[in-house]
Amino acid sequence: MTPFEFVLIFFIGGVTLTPMVGDDHSFTNALCIIATIALTHNFVAWAKHRWPPFGRIVDGTPLVILEKQKRHSETMNKMSVQDVDIMAMARDNGLTRLDQLDYAVLERNGEISVIRKSEQKD
Amino acid sequence: MPSTTEPVEESIEKVNDEIAVGSDLEFQRRWWRFERVIWVVFGLLILADLLGFFGRGHFAKVRLRTSDGSMDVQYERIERSATPSILIVQFGPSAIHDGKVRLWASESIVKRLGAQRVIPEPSASAIGDAGISYTFPSGAAPASAQFALEPLAPGIYTLSLRVPGSEQMTMKILVMP
Repeated sequence: MTPFEFVLIFFIGGVTLTPMVGDDHSFTNALCIIATIALTHNFVAWAKHRWPPFGRIVDGTPLVILEKQKRHSETMNKMSVQDVDIMAMARDNGLTRLDQLDYAVLERNGEISVIRKSEQKD
Repeated sequence: MPSTTEPVEESIEKVNDEIAVGSDLEFQRRWWRFERVIWVVFGLLILADLLGFFGRGHFAKVRLRTSDGSMDVQYERIERSATPSILIVQFGPSAIHDGKVRLWASESIVKRLGAQRVIPEPSASAIGDAGISYTFPSGAAPASAQFALEPLAPGIYTLSLRVPGSEQMTMKILVMP
């Protein structure tokens, strides 16, 4: 998660809080809100497991962005992924150039996983 | 008791028959189309909000006058729940009698629209006739009174205002959630 996304999540949380709580600052209200959020989280997790198509909507699907030295430019553009993002993860895996990669996959959690070229595998 | 086990099946679709990714580009394309629609909807929401279609903007503000000029009312026809606003009633010469202005407002001004205070404070207020009658001491016209409103709940409410000897002014106010 980038620092901007981190700030955004807290910002949305802060903005949402006022209309949700209103002027009811009671312990009962807090308890009910916490219980609702916990139950919703549990329900969504259960629903994702029960109905895979629902899971795809909630979590998305992994996307191949680099395949055998070919960029999937449509996917990269739509997902706003650049070579520098792939290289950041490549460096994290001890690789120094894009041509050392066989695949790069944009995972459901937003991270990029890289697979090094077959001959370089241990 | 040992936990239940089952053999692993290759259920995730492979790319080039060598890397199991489980990618679904067709679903993703549908999702991108859906996203585009959502961004347009969000854009329209922001535009409507800036124009005042959800209150607190140009479209929401209204000015009404009685034909005899006894009352000129500025108010917001779209309000927001639990959000303060000001309703201004300006009185013309025909509303002032013996140095006083008497204004009758329907009960909704307090019950639905949550009038918090009246500025200036009326010298007298009386209930009856399905509303509240306020009496304000007044000098020469123009004179005005302000009502600080804070609607309690969403809905469409009717507010009526009247000064003796003049037509009744009725307005519909939409209170957004």
